[in-house]
Amino acid sequence: MRSQVYEWSNLATATQASTLRRTVDAVPQLVPINREYDIFIGGIGNNITKPAETTATQFIVIEDIACSAYYGGAVQVRINTTDYFQNPDVTDQSGVPGLASPYPRGSSDQPVVDATTDYTQLLKSFDLYPDVYVLPGQVFQILYSCTTALVGAAATNTIVVSAFVKYTLYDGPDALIANKLLELGVTINPNNVDWYKRTLIEQQQRSRVAAVATNGGSA
Amino acid sequence: MRSQIYAWNSQAGTAWTNAQTGTATSIFIGGFGNNITKPAETTATQFVVIEDVAVSPTAFLFSGPVVNTIYRGVANGAENGVYGNRGYIQIRINTTDYFLDPDNVGNDGIPGAASPYPRSTDFQPCFNLYPDVYVLPGQVFDALVTTYQNGAFLANPAVAASLANNGLGAFMKYTLYDGPDALIANKLLEMGISINPGNVDWYKRTLIQSQSAPAPMPTA
Repeated sequence: MRSQVYEWSNLATATQASTLRRTVDAVPQLVPINREYDIFIGGIGNNITKPAETTATQFIVIEDIACSAYYGGAVQVRINTTDYFQNPDVTDQSGVPGLASPYPRGSSDQPVVDATTDYTQLLKSFDLYPDVYVLPGQVFQILYSCTTALVGAAATNTIVVSAFVKYTLYDGPDALIANKLLELGVTINPNNVDWYKRTLIEQQQRSRVAAVATNGGSA
Repeated sequence: MRSQIYAWNSQAGTAWTNAQTGTATSIFIGGFGNNITKPAETTATQFVVIEDVAVSPTAFLFSGPVVNTIYRGVANGAENGVYGNRGYIQIRINTTDYFLDPDNVGNDGIPGAASPYPRSTDFQPCFNLYPDVYVLPGQVFDALVTTYQNGAFLANPAVAASLANNGLGAFMKYTLYDGPDALIANKLLEMGISINPGNVDWYKRTLIQSQSAPAPMPTA
């Protein structure tokens, strides 16, 4: 099991809206408003080669999501085709606002350089608990959206926005244990996976002792 | 067992320059900043648990302001709205990168925006290295810093260690278990128990208790 992070920003080259690898002194790209962009393969900023998905031997637990608080920025989690955050009337919403889960932590709610107006250092008021599980074989997306055009005071100023996801990847035997914990209704976290391993080892030791006792003391 | 840290300052020794931007560089033996004499590795009687990594912070604003505009103590090296070095730190064990993208391709690692060094009210962490990273006996480990924003590294090297002037730095916190503690750490690993000072002490106590327990009565 490994702790993993993914950071997205709307930075790419002057000639490309998205790049697979980060580039030096990249320039910000405009993000159309009121549309959800997959931070993995959305076609803006730094992207990866294919949709984010788990293989048959992987299990992912998403533990934190965050984004820039500027201009109504928000992040939504989508598993296969289902949005995780919904309104109370079960209609769609844009997800967790950057104001509630800012990235970077301590950033301002307004993109201003002026020290006299930059007085806000946002703290998080949202904690992704319980965590979001991505089961083996599922596709997941982290969707960024904003409600106001990312244009600064001057028309040529483009706002730089970013999003962040922290997750733990369980693979191989750890993924099997994660599935077992899910069946048992136990929260999936590194501690509980380790606890399950210990119980397996103790069971094996007990059965070995019992076998020795059954055989009259000889192994 | 001993709590250990390694702090790297890009401007110590051979100073980091903009020519390094975009290249992953070891904070131990990369040839820039303060370095050590040989690759970081564990001996047969050592076990290392890496508990935290951090790198200089980044702020995202808007494109336009001229180069070397200062925001919260960090400068923009280009007019693209990125302040700071846009640094990332990756952990490598032997030849394997620890942090991967969801498509299983190795990435640049933890962003300084998520795990800033130093931390301040302006730049707070939103990443916690949990579970910890284990370096088993005989393994080589490394921390690689990559930046994507040119900085004003050479404008005023005298103050380069501060956030102002984009003094690039990195930090690693780890616990070194050696001798019997390393053996216990291996045992805990086999048992599927997290390796931390508390659990190593717990295992020692169980050993002492089992030794001091009264011998079983002889049977007829």
